[in-house]
Amino acid sequence: MNLLTDTLGMTEFWANVVIMLIVCTIVFAVFALMSGITSWAERRIAGRMQSRYGCNRVGPQGILQFVADAVKLILKEDLIPDGADRFLYKITPYLCLMGVLATLVVLPLGSRAMMVADLNVGVLYFISITSIVVIGILMAGWSSNNKWSLLGGMRSAAQIVSYEIPVAMSLLTPILIAGSLSVGDLLDSQGWLPWEWTAFQTPFSALAFFVFFIGSLAEGNRTPFDLPEAESELVSGFNTEYSGFRFAVFFMAEYGNVFLIGLSTTALFLGGPNLPGFLQGNPFLSVAVMMLKTIFIMFVVIWLRWTLPRFRIDQLMDLSWKYLLPCALIAFFGQSVFMLVAHQIPAITQITSIVVFIVFLLIMIKFIGRIRTNYKEQSIPVGLN
Amino acid sequence: MNAYFNNIKNGIQTVFEGMSISLASFFVHPITIQYPEDDISSAEKLKETYKGQLGPMPENYRGILDVDLSICTACQLCVKACPIDCIVIDAVKCDKSKVQGTKSEKPAVKTRTCTRFDIHMGKCMFCALCTLACPTGAIVHTKVFEMNKYQLQDLVLSFVSEEEKEKAIKRDSELKVEAAAEKAAKAAKEAEKTEEEK
Repeated sequence: MNLLTDTLGMTEFWANVVIMLIVCTIVFAVFALMSGITSWAERRIAGRMQSRYGCNRVGPQGILQFVADAVKLILKEDLIPDGADRFLYKITPYLCLMGVLATLVVLPLGSRAMMVADLNVGVLYFISITSIVVIGILMAGWSSNNKWSLLGGMRSAAQIVSYEIPVAMSLLTPILIAGSLSVGDLLDSQGWLPWEWTAFQTPFSALAFFVFFIGSLAEGNRTPFDLPEAESELVSGFNTEYSGFRFAVFFMAEYGNVFLIGLSTTALFLGGPNLPGFLQGNPFLSVAVMMLKTIFIMFVVIWLRWTLPRFRIDQLMDLSWKYLLPCALIAFFGQSVFMLVAHQIPAITQITSIVVFIVFLLIMIKFIGRIRTNYKEQSIPVGLN
Repeated sequence: MNAYFNNIKNGIQTVFEGMSISLASFFVHPITIQYPEDDISSAEKLKETYKGQLGPMPENYRGILDVDLSICTACQLCVKACPIDCIVIDAVKCDKSKVQGTKSEKPAVKTRTCTRFDIHMGKCMFCALCTLACPTGAIVHTKVFEMNKYQLQDLVLSFVSEEEKEKAIKRDSELKVEAAAEKAAKAAKEAEKTEEEK
């Protein structure tokens, strides 16, 4: 900033503009690259989970597949269906992408200093900006002049509107712990050890973590909540009529959403980029820790997609209103009461978090045992003779 | 109310179990055989590159036909068995010999040899009737299935080379001469005998 104003003789306003443009370019580049690589990783992981390879032809292990896909999509003709609302049809993909991208403003790619803007209402902004996507999807469905697209758009609207409520409610728990709406403060309220993360603070925050994770899956239109684009029912839903570059933009928004689910879950519940005391503030390590956790969450998201079948629309609504919302409310209420109690006996916080983490570890050990049994069952040779 | 908590319990349990199954299969090696890279014609070659759980081609796989001419007795049973007449055999006489077939313990007597053994693989329907009919097991299905050719004519497999054919014909004519000579000698002997008797 000083460099720009002093040596280049810019006014403060233009210096700000230049810096913002640079930051935007960096964030967008990271986002685009991540969504491309996610689409490749998803296909590889899906392949392995279904006992096949997935794409392994373009480049080493097929890693350049997303570049080939992008080139193919850009070279395709951009069709606009007869009777479509041309203006809405054209701007909708960008609106969707904008809704997804704008979330990155308040989410850190590394430590607190690496946020585009540390708004003091960051969480509120996060909740509200993700709703922009629903307008985009609804517009895409409406303007395509296709009944499947319209159904997809309507479903999407119903789904995202109802899942926003449990997500917002579950976010109240970390807000209670941090005592602030700023994402930076939420990061600072957590430590680097697993039992210092918000997710394992109390049983209630663990509940809130799961509600948030499931809810953000639904908001990101991921399976098992991919009703808006249900391939088998709606011929891929709201983006049926889109082709060429506009479809590529939708695609990028979809896979960018996975990245965002990982990023937001990590930042709000899983300790973010926090490092042990003596390493605190190391930019490279904090980015590495943040990305590692994000990539793990992205793996879980993809893993869930290839495990669970799609919900029916009524089951979807049941899950949101009858199960997730009460859970989120219980988490919020329980956390408030817990904090009142813990305010008088400070040691209780530490003990509870360690106990919750140990319980989590025990569940994980049981889970690994199940994986081993299933692995043994599945690796029996099924040769032809 | 009970059903409500049961639903939650079932949901958690099934997701827990399902996730463990899909992660387990994530670690299992893909079952896909990357065909042109992995040679699947035999078990040994398959093991070199392929790490999955599939076996090689089964033992009774009916690939392209192959003929072992050294044990073929040119009996033409396969020609008669073939429902679409895609096998053609021309045979001539040869030295009498015994050949050990693969089907039975007893050796077969070979008195004729092929001068032409053609199989039109473009017509063959892989019914394996010829291999069943063959008394010595000379005609068999291999496990080779890669038989794409640019010309239809290339699909006709000839098992007898020109040299062998000429050799067999030459030997046949020699045998004919010998037989004729033998016959003549025999006839002369007979004539002598009858004359002596007279």
